[in-house]
Amino acid sequence: MGKILMKGNEAIGEAAIRAGCLNYFAYPITPQSEVSEYLSRRLPEIRGVFLQAESEVAVSYMIFGAAGCGERIFTTSSSPGISLMSEGLSYIASAQLPAVFVNIMRGGPGLGGILPSQGDYFQATKGGGHGDYRLFVMAPSSVQEAVEMVMKAFPLAEKYRNPVMILGDGLIGQMMEPIEFPENLRSEPTNKDQWATNGMATRNSDKPNIVKSLFLDPDELNDHNLLLKAKYERMKREDTKYEPYNLDADYKVLIVSYGTMSRVCRTAIDNMKAEGFEVGMIRPQTLFPFPEKAISDAASKQSCEVVACIEMSMGQMVEDVQRCVLGKRPVKWYGKCGGDVPTPEEVIYVVKSFLDKNKA
Amino acid sequence: MGVHLRGIYIIVGNYGSGKTEVAINLAVNAKRSGLDVRLADLDLVNPYFRTREVRGLLAELGIDVVVPPEKYLQADLPILSPAISGMIRHPSQLTLIDAGGNDVGATVLAALADSFKNKLVHMLQVVNPSRPFTDTVEGCLKMRADIEKTSKMKISGIIGNANLIDETTVDDIYKGYDFVKSFSKESGLPLEFITVCVELLPQIDSNRFTCPVLPIERQLVPPWKKAVKIRN
Repeated sequence: MGKILMKGNEAIGEAAIRAGCLNYFAYPITPQSEVSEYLSRRLPEIRGVFLQAESEVAVSYMIFGAAGCGERIFTTSSSPGISLMSEGLSYIASAQLPAVFVNIMRGGPGLGGILPSQGDYFQATKGGGHGDYRLFVMAPSSVQEAVEMVMKAFPLAEKYRNPVMILGDGLIGQMMEPIEFPENLRSEPTNKDQWATNGMATRNSDKPNIVKSLFLDPDELNDHNLLLKAKYERMKREDTKYEPYNLDADYKVLIVSYGTMSRVCRTAIDNMKAEGFEVGMIRPQTLFPFPEKAISDAASKQSCEVVACIEMSMGQMVEDVQRCVLGKRPVKWYGKCGGDVPTPEEVIYVVKSFLDKNKA
Repeated sequence: MGVHLRGIYIIVGNYGSGKTEVAINLAVNAKRSGLDVRLADLDLVNPYFRTREVRGLLAELGIDVVVPPEKYLQADLPILSPAISGMIRHPSQLTLIDAGGNDVGATVLAALADSFKNKLVHMLQVVNPSRPFTDTVEGCLKMRADIEKTSKMKISGIIGNANLIDETTVDDIYKGYDFVKSFSKESGLPLEFITVCVELLPQIDSNRFTCPVLPIERQLVPPWKKAVKIRN
C-alpha cells in the first residue's frame, strides 16, 4: 500500500487499530478531538468499541477496568484532560496494568490555550498522579513517528505491565504528513494470562489473578514499590531511545530538544552548518527513560562548549539535561509557551548568543 | 489553460482535503489577474492551519480577508463574523468562502441561507484521493451527499487536489487526475480544475488534462519549513 496523507490525530487513531487495539474510551478536547472524531467513524466499521465517557476521570477508570480484563485499550486527551486522568494513571501503574495514553499537549497552566506546548513534561515524566510510579513516555517528532510509537506502545505496555504515554505537542496532532502503517508492528498480547482477570476457565488455570493497588501491610507495600522500581530501572537499561543529529561534527553547541521543537532545531542546525558553524543535537525519543548517558557523552566532547535545551515550556526538560551534564558544561535553556513555536532564525540567534555569553 | 473564476465560490470537502490552501491560492491567482478578491475564513472546526494565519500576507496583496475579531482568533469557539453575510450580499468580483471540513464544517453554510438567497453561488468540492474516506469514488460521493445535506446547498463542481505535500510525485498528479475524472463521471459534476504545486509544475505535461491547472504556492507550512514566497 502506498502512502496516505493523514493528520496526526487521525493517524494516531488508525495506528492503534493497526497495532491490534480495538478499544478506545475518551472525552474530546482541542487539539486532539480529531482522534475521537476519526475513531467514532472507524471503530464501529471493524466492530471495535468507541466510548465517549462523561469525563476524563471516568475514562481513566474505564481504562483501569478494561486493562484489568486483559483487553488492549487506549485513550487520547490534551493537557487538562490528562490532569483529570492522573489519579487513575497512578492506580493503573500500581496495579501493573498495560494501557496506552496519548497527550496532545496544549498551552497551560489551567485552561491555557489551544496552541502547541510542551508544558506537560514534568507531569508525564515525574508523576502527575500520586505515589512512586513512572510512565513509559515517548515523544514523536513527526506523524510517521507518532504512528510507529503508538504501534510499539502496546507491546511495551505489556512487556512492563505499565501505562505508556505518547507525549506530542499540538502540532503533532494537527499537522498533516504522508505516512504508512508498518505491517511488522502489528502485535498480539502475549502475557495477559499471567495477570488479567480474564476468567480462569478462559486461561485454563486454577489460580485467580488479582488486580489491585491496595497494600495495607507496610512490608508488602514497600516490596511492591521495590518491584515497581526494579521495573523502571529495567526500562532505563533496555528501552531508552534517542536520535543523534550532526554529532560526528566538531560541534560547539549541543542542543537537546524533542518533539516538533526538534524539527525547528534541525532546520536551524542545517542552516548553521551551511555557514560553517557546527551544532549537534540529541533528540530524546523516550523522555522516561531519559537518554542520560548519550547526553552526558555528547556534552563531554572536547569541541562542545555549551549545552542548550530548547523546549516549548518555561524550562522543564532542562532540569533532566542539567542532571545528565553534571556541571561538565554550562546548560542553557530557551523556550516559549504561548503557542507560537520558536522559528529556526530564533533558534540560531539564541544558540549563537549562548556561545558568545559563555566566552564573555 | 489558467483558472478564471468570477462570482461567489464556496470551497468545501473533507477534513484535510486542502480547502484552505486551495482557497488562498485561488485568491492570489485572481488578484494577480486584476480582480477584486475577498476571502472569508469560515472554518469553525479546525484549530490550526487556517486562512487566518496568512491574513497579513493576503492583506499586503490587497486581498480582503474576513476572519473573526483579532482577540478571538485563537479561541476554540465557533465564531461567525457578521461581515460574512455582508460580503455575500455585496460580492466582490471573486468572493471565496473557505468552509470547514466534512459535513460538520459545512453546517455553518445553512446558517447563511438567507444571505445566499437569489444569488448565484458555486460550491466546489475539493478532493484529495490520498486522504482517508475519499480514496474511493464511493467515498467522494458519500462526502458530497453528507455536505449537501448539512449545508442545504448543492455542490456544483470538483477541484482535484491530489497531493502528498512534499512527497507528491508526477505519478500522484496523473493518477489523481484520472481519479477525479472518474468521480466527475459518476457524479455528473464538472471537474473545474486540478492543482499542482509550483515545485512539480515544470515536470507536468498539462496536455494530459482537459481542465485548467491551478499552481499551488504552499503557504500553510509547519514552523520549520518556509512558505513559497508570493509575489504580485
